[in-house]
Amino acid sequence: MTIVARPAAAAPRAPAGRGRLGVVGQIAERRLADLRPELDALDAVDVRHRLATADPPRPFAQRLASPGLHLIAEIKRRSPSAGPIATGDEDVLARARAYQAGGAAAISVLCEPHWFGGSVADLEAVRAGVSVPVLAKEFVVDRRQLPLLRIAGADAVLLLAVLHGRAALARLAQEALDLGLEPLVEVRDDRELDAALATPARVIGINNRDLRTLDVDPERAARLHAAVPEDRLVIAESGVRDAATIRAWRALGIDAALVGEALVRSGSPGAAVRAFVEAGAPPTDPAESARVALVKICGITDVAGIEAAIRSDADAIGLNLVPGTPRALALEEAVDLARHARAIARQPGRPRIVAVTVDRSATQLGAIVRALDPDAIQLNGSEPPGLIAQLERPALKVLHLPPASDIANAPAPALAAELVARANAYLAAGAAQIFLDTSGGPHPGGTGRRADPALVAAVAREVPVVLAGGLEPGTVGDALRRSAAVAVDVASGTERPRQAGERPRKDPLKVALFIKRARAARLDRPNLPARPTPVDPGLVEADDRGRWGTRRQFGGRYVPETLMAALGELEREYGRVRHDPRFWAELRELLATFGGRPTPLYRADRLAASIVERVGAPLRLRLYLKREDLAHTGAHKINNALGQALLTRRLGKSRVIAETGAGQHGVATATACALLGLPCVVYMGAADIERQQPNVLRMGALGAEVRSVTSGSATLKDAINDAMRDWVTNVRTTHYVLGSAMGPHPYPTIVRDLQRRIGDEAAVQIVDVGGRLPDLALACVGGGSNAIGLLDRFIGEPAVRLAVAEAAGDGLATGRHAAALAGGSPGILHGARSMLLQDADGQVLEAHSASAGLDYPGVGPQIAALAAAGRLELATATDDDAFAAMALTAEREGILPALETAHAIAALPRLLSGREGSGRPYAEDVLVLLGFSGRGDKDLAAFGRWREAHA
Amino acid sequence: MTAAASAAMPEARPASAPDPSGPARIRSAFAAARAQGRVALVPYVVGGYPDPETSFAAALAAIDNGADLLEVGLPYSDPLADGATLQRASAAALQSGASFDAAVELVRQVTTARPDVPVVPMAYVNQIIGGGDGAPAARRLAAAGASGLIVADLTPDEGAEFERVAADAGLALVYLVAPTTPPERIRRIAARSTGFVYCVSLVGVTGARTRLAAGIGPLVRAVKAASPVPVGVGFGVSRPAHVRAIAKLGADGVIVASSLVDALGPDGRDVRSLGRLVRALREATG
Repeated sequence: MTIVARPAAAAPRAPAGRGRLGVVGQIAERRLADLRPELDALDAVDVRHRLATADPPRPFAQRLASPGLHLIAEIKRRSPSAGPIATGDEDVLARARAYQAGGAAAISVLCEPHWFGGSVADLEAVRAGVSVPVLAKEFVVDRRQLPLLRIAGADAVLLLAVLHGRAALARLAQEALDLGLEPLVEVRDDRELDAALATPARVIGINNRDLRTLDVDPERAARLHAAVPEDRLVIAESGVRDAATIRAWRALGIDAALVGEALVRSGSPGAAVRAFVEAGAPPTDPAESARVALVKICGITDVAGIEAAIRSDADAIGLNLVPGTPRALALEEAVDLARHARAIARQPGRPRIVAVTVDRSATQLGAIVRALDPDAIQLNGSEPPGLIAQLERPALKVLHLPPASDIANAPAPALAAELVARANAYLAAGAAQIFLDTSGGPHPGGTGRRADPALVAAVAREVPVVLAGGLEPGTVGDALRRSAAVAVDVASGTERPRQAGERPRKDPLKVALFIKRARAARLDRPNLPARPTPVDPGLVEADDRGRWGTRRQFGGRYVPETLMAALGELEREYGRVRHDPRFWAELRELLATFGGRPTPLYRADRLAASIVERVGAPLRLRLYLKREDLAHTGAHKINNALGQALLTRRLGKSRVIAETGAGQHGVATATACALLGLPCVVYMGAADIERQQPNVLRMGALGAEVRSVTSGSATLKDAINDAMRDWVTNVRTTHYVLGSAMGPHPYPTIVRDLQRRIGDEAAVQIVDVGGRLPDLALACVGGGSNAIGLLDRFIGEPAVRLAVAEAAGDGLATGRHAAALAGGSPGILHGARSMLLQDADGQVLEAHSASAGLDYPGVGPQIAALAAAGRLELATATDDDAFAAMALTAEREGILPALETAHAIAALPRLLSGREGSGRPYAEDVLVLLGFSGRGDKDLAAFGRWREAHA
Repeated sequence: MTAAASAAMPEARPASAPDPSGPARIRSAFAAARAQGRVALVPYVVGGYPDPETSFAAALAAIDNGADLLEVGLPYSDPLADGATLQRASAAALQSGASFDAAVELVRQVTTARPDVPVVPMAYVNQIIGGGDGAPAARRLAAAGASGLIVADLTPDEGAEFERVAADAGLALVYLVAPTTPPERIRRIAARSTGFVYCVSLVGVTGARTRLAAGIGPLVRAVKAASPVPVGVGFGVSRPAHVRAIAKLGADGVIVASSLVDALGPDGRDVRSLGRLVRALREATG
């Protein structure tokens, strides 16, 4: 045997030799010197024998390919960077067992004696005492070390890219794989990563520590990970400070963290591991899970394939009944596989079993249904829409897209429109799902070709589609991020290399990894479309100039020049943050642990009964309140305040200002600033200070400075003016946390994005309990953050009617109101064009509402765009209506709504009776989602006065 | 004349109005001052403050004491670029009935009485463009004899359409640059500004200051170097000493607003005091 690599072997690449390699070079050289006598004395026959009788390897890669970030807990006695960590006589086995009990996916054991105090004996002891896979953290400098490590029990082995040339590294990785020893190729820069990716290794380690200098760069893993194809598993090593690091890595899609010192130093190893393991688990809250695409594993040909799909929790499996195709099953084979799948299913009905067919008659399909009892039938041929009505099971209709190369010159919009029309024809005929497949012929899958992403995105924007054809673990995540497909289907992309004459078979690791990548694709990316939105794009996204509306007639950025640079910077920084899953993961964690999310959905039956009485028509009203009043600080405002406080940190600004009307946004911002240690100034109209005393006191208690604004009407509008003047003056140090989905671009987008979680959560919750999306979603509107936060999710759902309740103050007819949509005209206020209460000269009129939060003469531009397009129905409630609704809700439900929220409740009877809104009648069984935006404690004094006056 | 009465009047340009376009009149006024070795003085009066007649008298006093151009502020309900002085004056003017019609009438009166001094109204975007394209407002101001227009919250990013409207009406459209404007953007703004470019001297709102902003020197020199049109410096420019300092920096004009409103006294009627301050400022121009 020859030495394939040693420190000196790297020398030709850099003549400095050991000096260039620094500490790692010294260790490697010493390791080689230590081991050489033993390696030279090895007997090949003996090695083969011991290999054959060694305990079989435990599945290391397979474990990492399950969802989430996994923890690899490391056992070491000391390290060159940290010195002695554990005492020499420490019971490594006890520690390894504690790590396993805490949920570690694998144990890493240092084998190097001089610098780390480890040994192969430690590895053997740990391997024998735990049931999880064990990684040999060894300095492999000679290929003959590999079989010895496998014999000692190692399931995976570390290969340091820095120690080997490209070819040698690839050979070592292949030899390890051949031994059943999973190679983990560790890199620390682009060049090493390039070399690692040229090996057959399935697992790449990115070390934040530079092994030459021992310096740690905690961003390295995040940076390099972006360059690793998603069909590899990635382990980040070193630099774990806390659970937040783990959470950020998980959000990025890193598969495992190798943690040593952070665990060793904690008093309770099991608890420390558990905290990290929890932080690595994928999020399960409703808003996140709603964006997860479903996965169908198609073309399963044997029991092992069925088991792989079920172990990885596939949503559906496909059994191919198309004679003459590579994955075709005889009907009896399919029946056996389906029976096996149902026998081992973890829960009834999951995975759904799909019979894949081409151009069969209704009679033939009937026979298949009787024999196989599939959950759905997939139609891969040129079946007419009329066939669907004759089927006894839900139909999945496949539309074949031409492959990208064939449509390069075709007009994409026309092609997309044609596909959408065909999809709609099948959906109208009763198809349950539409598949888009690139195979371009009657073959059900397996061509490995990819559809044109822009074409797919254009179709998926209009109709719900299952993306199929050419997907594999490395591409499925990207495909799902680039289109709003609701599910993915895969056949060849999850198979082993095919043997001649053999039917294709699934590779369990690829199946698991495909499902993991598909499920993770949109996690912590709340601003990626995850379902069709078949409406004008101007209703759901601003253009690059911040314009909304079907004619892009609202929004924009009308501010003094002094602010333009800051708005540009905010736009750029938010542009980076918007699709950075780390930001949203951090925010979600804060919202969950600090903010009280997700907020509950509550069915208010007694209030509903009172409302039905007022409607005076036979209705079965199911009224669900989305309880934002139960979020921390008592209103939805905390969603935006926490998000923008995190953004302030990213912007590098050291001071926060905010405006407030009812005081809820001021309290929320003061709270977020207290949490993050930012100084906070809140501008508040003198009139509002008067009527919202409790919130003024709360802001003070939270350490914020409340500045009274006496100009103009001394309410919200004037508070915004003064906040903007402060911002103009202190723009270099200060971030303005605007409280509503209004203002100059990009604020309407930022605030909407931060508030959309309300509707994202509510949609999942109401389908769970109500069985479908609501018939009507309703919120009160002032600036519009609560309204757009609730309604945004439903804009693209044609079956959901959207409505807002504006404050009518003393009554619309009196002119003393705050109804900018119902009673205003297009104009520009606070940086954006929208609907506005103004006179003929463009002077902004004072709004009038008892509710300080709605007492604003404008409204956000997206809301204005929705109203102008007829997508939003308008209703109003006077001050009296609102106070009465407040009393009613308190008495009937034991919930005291904010006066703002009470406007929505007050408007509901008129909307249901058709006296306001579009007037279109509702079905008798009506499901309503009402944004319960805040709690009413702050309004008690005003409520008391109203009640006295109306006693 | 009351606002209501003025609204009823026909709006043809006064016969005495100078012939060339607004931008040309503004350029000539700057050139004339330059020819005398001075910076141009651009005083500011709030239209309709404290009432239409007094604001007309203040405008004439400003011109007669040495204004090279005159800026007329259109009172606005939400003047978010303005500090306390102009906010108060604006609110008081609106309180006493100031309107767009009255502002147009004031411009007409001033340009009729003193046709040689270009008048440049300053407004907020909702007063001019609002939900439309701004053409009616631009045409009426031009017809009343205005030479240009400053819109405090309109930048070139949103101004393309209105640039054409203003040009068609014969009005200069004066954009603003600020200390926060990056160099490349200063160049673009100045290139699209007609008549002159308004250099905001400080990071903040309008209002009298005791001293000029630190950094004003490099700013003015940078804007001057980048601008094909004259550069007027405003915001916080209050005293003759400020004018002298800005003249030394090579600016083409100085714009003085809040300190003149302050000079009008608490009731806004001390026109003589305003005249004296304008005279003192004028003497500092060269």
